[in-house]
Amino acid sequence: MRIAVAAKWAPDPKDASVAPDGSVDWSRARPAVSDYDAVAFVVGRLLADALGAELVGVSVGAADLGTPFARKALLARGLDRLVIVADDRLAGADALTTGRALAALVRHVGAVELVLAGEASVDEGAQLVPSVLAADLGWPVLSGVGSVSGCPGALLVERRTDAARETVRCGRPVVLSLASDAATVGVPGMKDVLAAGRKPSEAVELDALGVRLSAPQMVGRARPAERPRRRVMIDGSDGDAAASALVSALRGAGVLS
Amino acid sequence: MKAWIVTTSAAIGSLIDLAREVDPEPVALVLGAASVADAVARSGVERVVWAETSGPVESYRDAVASLVAEAGADLVLVPASDAERALAGGLAVALDAPLLTLPIGLKNGLMTHGVHGGIAERTVAVERAVLVADGGGLVDSGTSVVVEQVVLASASGLEIVDSQPAPAASVDLGTSRRIVAVGRGVRAAEDLAVIGDLAARLGADVACSRPISGLGWLPHDRVIGLTGRRVAPELYVALGVSGQLQHVVGVRSSGVVVAVNTDAASPLFGEVDYGVVGDLYEIVPALIRALS
Repeated sequence: MRIAVAAKWAPDPKDASVAPDGSVDWSRARPAVSDYDAVAFVVGRLLADALGAELVGVSVGAADLGTPFARKALLARGLDRLVIVADDRLAGADALTTGRALAALVRHVGAVELVLAGEASVDEGAQLVPSVLAADLGWPVLSGVGSVSGCPGALLVERRTDAARETVRCGRPVVLSLASDAATVGVPGMKDVLAAGRKPSEAVELDALGVRLSAPQMVGRARPAERPRRRVMIDGSDGDAAASALVSALRGAGVLS
Repeated sequence: MKAWIVTTSAAIGSLIDLAREVDPEPVALVLGAASVADAVARSGVERVVWAETSGPVESYRDAVASLVAEAGADLVLVPASDAERALAGGLAVALDAPLLTLPIGLKNGLMTHGVHGGIAERTVAVERAVLVADGGGLVDSGTSVVVEQVVLASASGLEIVDSQPAPAASVDLGTSRRIVAVGRGVRAAEDLAVIGDLAARLGADVACSRPISGLGWLPHDRVIGLTGRRVAPELYVALGVSGQLQHVVGVRSSGVVVAVNTDAASPLFGEVDYGVVGDLYEIVPALIRALS
């Protein structure tokens, strides 16, 4: 059996700056393994060990994903090997293109029966890539997954929806998008990073996968209008004085009667 | 453009407003209980197509995508919840349409929407699109349209073997007038009792940042931010919330923003109306006294 972890190498928007014309400067935002994906590596490793499966990382992104630094950072999270597409035509790709490229990569890897993904990417947060990936592969998808265990011929998945906590039996192949609390995530240690340098990684050419690249035509961009804020700071060293200052300020602002 | 809304919930007021920007006669495809279809029929859409479902709604992805594609929909609007996101991927692949989120405006085939979690906006020309966005509230237009029932095939492979209702009653933070949100500055789950006391005195709903839900202290539907709700209350009070961008993008539309944090360098203080640099364990009881 082969399990794939789909992960993104992406910068964090908190370190980006947006110019008045809406252009985004990412130069101070160092890309890293997307926060939300960390949990997928942990769950994937545990499951692969329990089921005797191989754990393969799959990732698509801009050319910087192909650097030894990026590959090692991904491999250090418990993967057996890594398969990537690193091409600047995928920089800033939307969920449809990213999902399709990942699906093509999963087909390229072959014999994958389970794809695990984080619930969102740190740079977009749209929570849609696992859904496109699954639809393109024609596999079922479940999200909000808290735990996964193997049972004969199937997987037992616990997941939360807005209304319930469910246990779902699902056949394979399947795509599972993990809740961020599905496992406790640690930072890879020195041993993991050193071992990562010896693990195999393969870069696949984007053109070899036949992925259709699409993006809506952009006709304008802007920096969101900022709501003016008063930025009144209140010293909280005396709790009662601070509370009474705050309450009267809120009454003055008309939000408390 | 021909607009279809695909939903498992009747709380789709915002999606109907957006759909009407391109199509005066939007159609809703409702998956689930008849009561939801009946509520949607009163919400002001032109047609309601209803399919009863059993098992996970994700099993209906391919049937939903075929139905909507064959109906010739150009714009499909889907509420941003887990089940509907699974359907959205199928719709985008079937329609070969971009998936867009965080809508700001839609006029004359041009959609303005937030990107990178909302730090920037862009306007794109849309011939076809699948839009995933906050559904909005329940709407009652006063009149009702006929519900047309269809039968959709469910794919095999997913079977619910156990289901427990979510532990706490849901709140719709999207419609809350006042919100008290807690972050990692709260040290123990028991301490939420006093936070709840303050919220009650303010007439506020309690919300949280993602880590608090991750600890299991509050249900997932109370999370505000990139992977939670985006809210716009008239008063938003953040207690021990550090102000990571992933949370802050969810509160920027709030009226008056208050933060209490021991760390004067907390990034949230850059975006507040009133910031209290202090220990929430002193400030919260003092606030309760001040409001008594």
